[in-house]
Amino acid sequence: MNRAEAMMNEEALGWVIRTRDPEFADWEAFTAWLEADPVHAPAYDALMAADADLAEIVPTEPVTMAAPANDAGERGWRWSRSLIGGGAVAAALVAAISVGMWNRSDIYTVTTRPGETRTVALDEGTRVELNGGTTMRFDRHDARFAALDSGEAAFTVRHDAANPFRVTVGDALFEDAGTVFNIVRAGNATRIGVSEGEVIYNPKAEAIALPAGRALMEDENGLRVMDVATDAVASWRQGRLTYANAPVTQISADIARSLGVRLTATPGAGTMRFTGTIRLHRDPARFFGQAAPLMGLSAVRQGDGWLLREGDGPPR
Amino acid sequence: MATGLSAIFLNNRPALLRFLRARGAGDESEDLLQDMWMKLEEKDLGPIADPLPYLYRMANNLMLDRYRSATRRERREQDWAEGAGGVMADPSEDIAVDERLILNERLEEARAVLQSLGPRVELVFRRFRLEGVGQRLIAEELGVSLTTVEKDLQKAYRAMIALKQKMDTE
Repeated sequence: MNRAEAMMNEEALGWVIRTRDPEFADWEAFTAWLEADPVHAPAYDALMAADADLAEIVPTEPVTMAAPANDAGERGWRWSRSLIGGGAVAAALVAAISVGMWNRSDIYTVTTRPGETRTVALDEGTRVELNGGTTMRFDRHDARFAALDSGEAAFTVRHDAANPFRVTVGDALFEDAGTVFNIVRAGNATRIGVSEGEVIYNPKAEAIALPAGRALMEDENGLRVMDVATDAVASWRQGRLTYANAPVTQISADIARSLGVRLTATPGAGTMRFTGTIRLHRDPARFFGQAAPLMGLSAVRQGDGWLLREGDGPPR
Repeated sequence: MATGLSAIFLNNRPALLRFLRARGAGDESEDLLQDMWMKLEEKDLGPIADPLPYLYRMANNLMLDRYRSATRRERREQDWAEGAGGVMADPSEDIAVDERLILNERLEEARAVLQSLGPRVELVFRRFRLEGVGQRLIAEELGVSLTTVEKDLQKAYRAMIALKQKMDTE
């Protein structure tokens, strides 16, 4: 690679990072850079593809870092909160400070491997059940708070109107109103289903109330609210997955998380939809033998994982 | 659409077209815009905070999808030509074990490279790349400047992409 090429790649990498930022807005400047030389677009594409491939090799376990030196601010806050005591004032402080609070030593991470489940009891009457392949963060000093970074979790929450339980998922915030609910976070898409009580989505912004039997989906296409069978919510805990007109891409992500297998769907199979209940089985060969025909698909082994494809004929 | 997204789309049509052209869509730019319009019309989108960046991102994603399917097709054709193509119905156990070993080795190697960059760079990269958190927020969380976060990300990306390229040629 000559020097000009190396410099151009460096610029392209800069744009990969900038455009990947969820807050990126200067698309005119990006257009101008692309227009400056026709080789810029392919260089950007190649690096974006390399970026997409990184997910395969980057291990997902969290990293912990010692609290930064300017920790005094936080201690001051803890002190003032204990002075004021509980109640609305403290809740307001929590809301104001929440973003800056992350990665302090009070925050701990719980991760499950695909196929592994784990239950975290936060206080009496509040527990979080993590499905496989899930990463969550909790606060040692605040049992009313959780963050779902990726994967799936079912929440059974003791309701306290003065101190509601909150879950952050990406930029969204869910607040309980006496509740059993399930959240899935895959990439930048979030799904929540409510089986008891009520959850408020982003109480300070959209403030959408989700009573039992309602579900909310947020992805690159925006926000949607729909009906969901209450006994289908978090049914993975009973070893079954229940769907109403769900795309196979979503179902295969749920299966992979629950069984701990690598699973992909061909583009044709991925766009198909399924309504019904799939019983989970520990043995993938037996599971797919029953589940795939149910969805009108066939499953074949592929390397160390499985592939879902259209039709039930023999593999070609 | 109740969101006014269609009005914003129409007002910014020339800018979006210019973007798609610059992005390498050539003669297909008009068709791609038409596709975008259809998608916007058929989907009942909720309120969107920043509609114009949203539309640009949608156009950019269309181009990334095109690039990905084109390279995938190329690879598949190459595999066919080499007679190694397609999905194997029932590969013998040791192939799967081999692949798992290679994958584990690669994960270990990637972990070592990330760790060698230092805990802050590693944390910034994970927050940004794996958890999808923006640079401004990461800077706030860590109490460092935005420039520091940008530099950390450049450093991590350079190392990780170089590693990925090395693995691909192995």
